[in-house]
Amino acid sequence: MSSSPTSDGLMEVTMPQMGVSVAEGTIVEWKKQPGDSVESDEPIAQISTDKVETEVPAPAAGLLKEVLVEVGETVDVGTVLATIETGAAGDGQAPADEKPAEEAHADEPAADVEAEAQAPAPQRTRAQATDGERPAPHGDGDGRRPERGDGGAPPVTPVVRRMAEQHDLDLSRIEGSGRRGRVTKRDVVAYLREHEGEAAEPEREKALHMESPYREEAPAVAPEEAPAAAAAEAPEKAAPQPQPAAAAEKAAQAAPISGGRELSVMRKRIAEHMVRSLRTAAHCTTIVEADMSRIEAARGRRSYLPFVARATIAALREHPSLNATLEGEVLTVHEEVNLGIAVSLGEEGLIVPVIHNAHELSHEGLATRIKDLAERARGKRLQPDEVSGGTFTITNPGAFGAVLATPIINQPQVAILDLETVVKRPVVVTDADGHDSIAIRPMTYFCMSWDHRALDGVLAAQFLSTLKRQVEGWQG
Amino acid sequence: MPELTYLKAISDGLREEMRADESVFCLGEDIGAFGGAFKVTDGFIEEFGEDRVWDTPLAENAIIGTAVGAAVEGLRPVCEMQFADFISCGFDQLVNVAAKLHYRQGLSVPMTVRLPSGGGFSGGPFHSQNPEAWFLQAPGLKVVAPSTAEDAKGLIAAAIRDPNPVLFMEHKHLYRRAKGEVPEGRYETPLGEARLAREGEDLTVITYGAMVLTALEATEDLDGASVEVLDLRSLCPYDRDAVLASVRKTSKVVLVQEATRSCGVAAEIAALIAEEAFEDLDGPVVRVTTPDVPIPFSPPLERAVLPQVDDVKEACRELLAY
Repeated sequence: MSSSPTSDGLMEVTMPQMGVSVAEGTIVEWKKQPGDSVESDEPIAQISTDKVETEVPAPAAGLLKEVLVEVGETVDVGTVLATIETGAAGDGQAPADEKPAEEAHADEPAADVEAEAQAPAPQRTRAQATDGERPAPHGDGDGRRPERGDGGAPPVTPVVRRMAEQHDLDLSRIEGSGRRGRVTKRDVVAYLREHEGEAAEPEREKALHMESPYREEAPAVAPEEAPAAAAAEAPEKAAPQPQPAAAAEKAAQAAPISGGRELSVMRKRIAEHMVRSLRTAAHCTTIVEADMSRIEAARGRRSYLPFVARATIAALREHPSLNATLEGEVLTVHEEVNLGIAVSLGEEGLIVPVIHNAHELSHEGLATRIKDLAERARGKRLQPDEVSGGTFTITNPGAFGAVLATPIINQPQVAILDLETVVKRPVVVTDADGHDSIAIRPMTYFCMSWDHRALDGVLAAQFLSTLKRQVEGWQG
Repeated sequence: MPELTYLKAISDGLREEMRADESVFCLGEDIGAFGGAFKVTDGFIEEFGEDRVWDTPLAENAIIGTAVGAAVEGLRPVCEMQFADFISCGFDQLVNVAAKLHYRQGLSVPMTVRLPSGGGFSGGPFHSQNPEAWFLQAPGLKVVAPSTAEDAKGLIAAAIRDPNPVLFMEHKHLYRRAKGEVPEGRYETPLGEARLAREGEDLTVITYGAMVLTALEATEDLDGASVEVLDLRSLCPYDRDAVLASVRKTSKVVLVQEATRSCGVAAEIAALIAEEAFEDLDGPVVRVTTPDVPIPFSPPLERAVLPQVDDVKEACRELLAY
């Protein structure tokens, strides 16, 4: 756990140890500011190591007291990043890390809570009395739920939340008639009826985020990400224009803002790796053409990728020299295939999670692992060890329609295979009797960049021919 | 329209179907000469003869198995379980044979099983159960549970005419307690349609069978609250549209069932509401049920476990105030 309690109700949040090989991390963003209340396990900061970006969860509920490491700073594992105040001083009855912060900071005086707990419990219904499992709609005894950090108001019910969003209501302005002042649907309906005449703000169209659950709604992010300088500059450039009306003008502002934007931590890492690889390896790209008919027939609606991955692994077992890493002048040929799969994170960048011991998996097993890793990569939930130790990498821009590419080797590996799009092309096929004819076949190019320091073109061609044979002779 | 008891309405419905359709026949324990333990088939053997009103041995597996065979051959048997509790003896024929014949072989099994069910009269653990939920987990069976005399007659007719095996839950406590105007002649209450027993705005009580009466009584005058009562009538298939429409209107739901609590009709509907109408809820979905215990003989103990008017009132008040 990346935290340690201190004697005075403060909990320290430290830079977590993320996998065995990581020694330091960089703060990318603070999601909470000093004074904000946090719930246990709620993400409070975004951090980045040289392998992954991830979140730091709050070790306990409480108030974020102090932030000790600024955005952009890189610190060692174990460094204290922030402190959380977990409970009111002197109230030491419950272990600090188990005490919900809201209880200490609720507006509701403690005496009031006591009084309610001691009041005669309403007569329970018989069914409830005998099995005691019913959901408690009221706050008797243990039925008290942890409340939100908004000063002890009871949780908002789903229908009220929805109506408030629909009508753009500030619920704190509505007097609640429910238990403990909860705003009920009835209260909202009455409030709306009362304020019917007043011109409500037109319903704002919510940014759609159906396609990508990971993409935040634009207005929430943009202002924070704009560096101060660019933000100050933008209005000047827009001076002849009337003052933009906030959200509507965001798109217009986007161009100047992105012009002066610093690269994200992830992009900086990618840039560094790519340049280093080009500088290090003697890149050379070899291409073969393959007929995907067999795989096309076998795959149904599934992706080509796991099938090609399976064939690649078989080819690597035949030509282990390509399943290798070259560090300095030391070449290591690996027994097991740890297959890296490049996963695009959209504009953010690219990450290469690794399927360890991929040679033990069938194409179905590979498909499951690829799906899992890609999902977690997009959700920023990869462990650092899951992006290290690769022995060979496949990248798959073909899924987006590319026909040819010369990929950059993922150091210190010696080759990277690029799976291009599958296109129906007229090809000459020869039947068993040696007669040629022209047929329409789903064809693709396998482009492999390899390091001429570690191997030569013959081997690259042999490997690709084996891959082609594996793919064209796919047996399922 | 004449006012009939629930019992007489079932009896009339069954008799009229038998008169109209020669393929309909009854079988069960003591239903012939004795007229049935509750007298639903009183006078049937005189009117229809021994060929269409069979007194069977005390063997539910045989009664249901025989009915399955007859139904497959084109007849429309109506079995009586003397008490719903006894149906466990015929379970295999029902859930493994009757329920699956259409799926496996495309055969229709137009049979009806009548289940005198429910407690409230000190019948003890073997004569008071509400076993409907068992059958909601056997795809291929339909289950109905009328609460009024009119629906009892209409649903027994619909059950007999339906090409599937239908379980007809007839609540013993309603037999003579539920009375109402019943249309003369043959008619059908459609399967799968709920009935709005009372319209309301503030809260919905969803229930079926004898608990409809309990719910209506409990919410008739509840501190001025306007309480909707939805009588499901059919439990499988049940009326999802009616349930969701009512939840969307009132946003507060109390589910009442006389059956025991776990995995029952109330639980199923609570799950539906959570899945389909979460954003319409203005409070937790609340169940009022019998706890997971056998039904005691002792009258005070039985009252303690079966949901009473006050229990429903209490649950509604709590939710209204949430």
